Parts: sequence; C-alpha cells; structure tokens
Amino acid sequence: MSQSFRDLLSTEHQAAPNIVPVWRRLVSQLLACALLALAVVLIWELLHPEPTQELGRLITLGIAAVPPLIWLAAAVAPEYRVLRSRRRLVGVAVVSALVASALGSPVVQEFFRIVQWLPHESAFGRIVGYTLTAGMVDAGLKLLVLRAIVVPNELRVRGDSIAYAMASAVGYSFFLNLELIFSVQPSPGIAAIYVLANYVIQFASAMFIAIGISESFFSDALPPVLPMNVLLAAISTGIISSVYTGVMGGALTTQGSADRPLFGIGFLIIALFVFCGITYFLYHVSERREREAYFGGGGNGV
Amino acid sequence: MEFDTGRSQAVLLTPRQRWSSILSALLIVVGLAMGINMRDESIGRSTTYSNVEAGITAHYPARWLLDEAGDYVLRVRDMSQRGFNTVIEVITLPVGPETSERNLLDGLTLRRAQTLIDYAVLGYDNYILPDETAAVSMSYSFVSRDTGPLLQGASTIVAGLDILTFSRGQALIISFRADADIFQQELRTLHRFIDGLEY
Repeated sequence: MSQSFRDLLSTEHQAAPNIVPVWRRLVSQLLACALLALAVVLIWELLHPEPTQELGRLITLGIAAVPPLIWLAAAVAPEYRVLRSRRRLVGVAVVSALVASALGSPVVQEFFRIVQWLPHESAFGRIVGYTLTAGMVDAGLKLLVLRAIVVPNELRVRGDSIAYAMASAVGYSFFLNLELIFSVQPSPGIAAIYVLANYVIQFASAMFIAIGISESFFSDALPPVLPMNVLLAAISTGIISSVYTGVMGGALTTQGSADRPLFGIGFLIIALFVFCGITYFLYHVSERREREAYFGGGGNGV
Repeated sequence: MEFDTGRSQAVLLTPRQRWSSILSALLIVVGLAMGINMRDESIGRSTTYSNVEAGITAHYPARWLLDEAGDYVLRVRDMSQRGFNTVIEVITLPVGPETSERNLLDGLTLRRAQTLIDYAVLGYDNYILPDETAAVSMSYSFVSRDTGPLLQGASTIVAGLDILTFSRGQALIISFRADADIFQQELRTLHRFIDGLEY
C-alpha cells in the first residue's frame, strides 16, 4: 500500500465529518469478493465436491448474492450511522438492476447477438467488438441511472460519485449474474468465476464513469472529459471481457479443450486491483488539485 | 479523500456540464452505431459454395459448418448456437410434367412425420424469389431432442420453412430450421442465403 493511499485512508474521515469514507470500504469489498471467489474455485478445483443438484443451485445463488451482501454490509449499513448519509445508494443499485434487466441484457444478447459472432473474431476484433456493444450499452445505462438519480443534487464530495457508481455496478452485475446462473446453470466453481467476472467488468466501467462525473461536476472540467471517461469505461469492458474469455479457454489438444479456471480467476483478481489502482490514482490527482486550488484561493476547507 | 468544499446541494449545472452530458450521449450513440455496423459485417460475411453437378452456387454464412454427405446437395449449420443448431439445407429432386408442388411437399411431410417428433405442418403460402420466380413455401414445427438417451436436457421446439420452386426439370427445395424462439430473427440469414443463391 503506497504512502499516499495510507494517507488517504487515515485522513479522509477527518476532512469531511459525518460523511462515510468511501475508499477503505471499497477496497474491503473488492478484497472480500475476490478472496471468496478464489476460495470457491480452489475448493472445486482441489476437492471436487459433488453436491446434489438442488444444493448446487443454492450454492450458486448464494455466490451470486455475495457481492450485494458485502456491499450492503460494508457500504450501505454505515450510512445509517452518520448524519450526512448517502440516501440513494440502495435506490441506485435497484434501478441499475432493473435497467440491466429491461434494457442492458436484451440489447446485448438479443439485438447485438454477441454470442453468435464476437467469439469468432480476432483478439483485437473481440476487444473492439465488446467495447462497441456491451461496453457502450453498460456504460451508457449506468451513466443514465447516475445522471437521473444522483447528479447533481446528491453530489457533495468526490467520494459520492465513487460510492454511487459502485452501487450502480453492484446492482447491474447482480442482475447479469442471476440471469447467467439461471440460464447456464454452472457448477459452483465456474459460477464463482462468472460472478466475479461480471462484478469486475461492471466495477471497472463504473469507476471510470465516477471519475468522469466527479471531474465534470467538481472541477467543472472541459466537456470532452466525461465522454472520454465513458469511452474508457467501455474500453475496460472490452478488454476484460475478451481477455478473460481467452485466458479461461485452455489449449486445444487431441483430447479436446478444457477450461482453466485458475487462470481465469487469477486474471480477474489482477484486473480488479489494477482498475481500482488506476481509478484511485486519477481520483487522488484530481482531489489533490482541487484541495490545492481551494486552499490557494483562500478557502477554509470545511 | 472526502474533501468537502461546502457546496450547496441544489447545484445548477454549468454550460460545460450540460455539454459533457450531451457529448457523452453522442459518443454512446456513435459507438452503438459502429457496433451495429460491426455486427452486420461479421454476421453477413459469407463463404462461396459451388456444385457444378447440381448447378448450384450459394453463399452461406462464413462460420457455418458445411456438410455434403447426406441426401441433400448441401447442408450448412450454425454450430455456435446453444441447443438446436440453425440449419439450411438445399435439396434437388427430379420432377415429371405431372408433378405439382403440393405432391412434393406432401411427400416431405409423410417422410418427416415418421422421423421427427410431433411434426406438424403449420401452413402453405406463395413465395417470390429474388429473381421474381414464383415458389411455394411450407412452414412446420417439430420437437428436437438430444439423440443420446442418457444425455440430460430439455427438448427444443423447432420451427421450419421449406421453399420449393421448379427449375430446369428439377425441384429445388430450400429447407430452413431454427429454434422457434429465435426463428424470426434467424430468417434474415435465410433471406441473405436465398439472395445469393444461383441455380
């Protein structure tokens, strides 16, 4: 953990009293989700348990419920203990899940029919294809939800944009995970990878949108900044979606091709923290610039 | 870092913020349009099939699996589909001067009723081919089940469409079958196939 990140974790609560600090809880959530997914994959790879069909279904549904439950415990519950709480976190998550159900999934699966053509493209073609289809749809819908519910009235500090974007990512990915588990009915070991994959994809996308929103609404950045972040959000979806499917698929041999779940989960955990690091870096730079400008201009830093 | 500048919660949007929202919407629209273009180009990519003996040249979807081993001129299948693979078959049959379209379609029906589960004809219609040739179509449905009795999995309802026309003393039958849930959207592939068919 870098010095600046330790500074951030220790000072963020002092700087804005009665507002729940966002980064420490965000990192805790990511860590908990990643470790739980890794544990499930390791158990299934090493011990090969064979639960009954009903129990297997219950376990996979439980795995899909892990990210929202952790988010409720780590991000939503603390809001009830402070005066200036983020009142619309649950609302944003629920609306995001409904939007994913009503628009996101049908547009990607039935209109773009990505299953039919994207897996056959070259690696670069897959990245571009996922970016221009699932990436644009997901980023656009999450931005729409945040723009409708959060911006600008619920934005008091930069951390609000991160917290609400995370809520949107959790809600959006929860619906995608439920849909996938009911349609594919994977084993718990594979379900843990699918759930983490959707979580990482939506998290990375949401964080870029959050940075764009906070830059636009706290620094009054130039108009292209928000669209550039939306584009980065879509590209992150394109990169993670295409690379993770490539990493998961084993080499084709005379005995067929087997999945490589450990490679898949390893890539996803790395991607999760790389995108978290990138987002934190951008956030930290913007925040420091704002702080310097504020104190430099004679503000008292309430 | 929760750095609070003490802004009012009822913030009015600045012109820059309004423009950023408009530009974001534009970017998404342009991106999606490019995505649609990429999808159409990828799905529309085709491979040429030519059979001099049968006098048929066809352009079938590039990634579909070609098969010539059965009692048909060609059969192409979309192996990327989950469940029932969408299939296009081209069959030629010799015909005499007395043979009518309905005779041939009834013959197909009798054969299929013995091999396909719950086969049912849904209706007949006239069909105009791209070169303005008149043809007859027959739509039908049946239930597809995995051939292995030990394999688990639900059955699929399959919708089919036969298009029959006469040409140079033979009947040409183009058979199209797809999972009933996606039959309508898959019809576009059949129409592209027919547009590129030479016989």
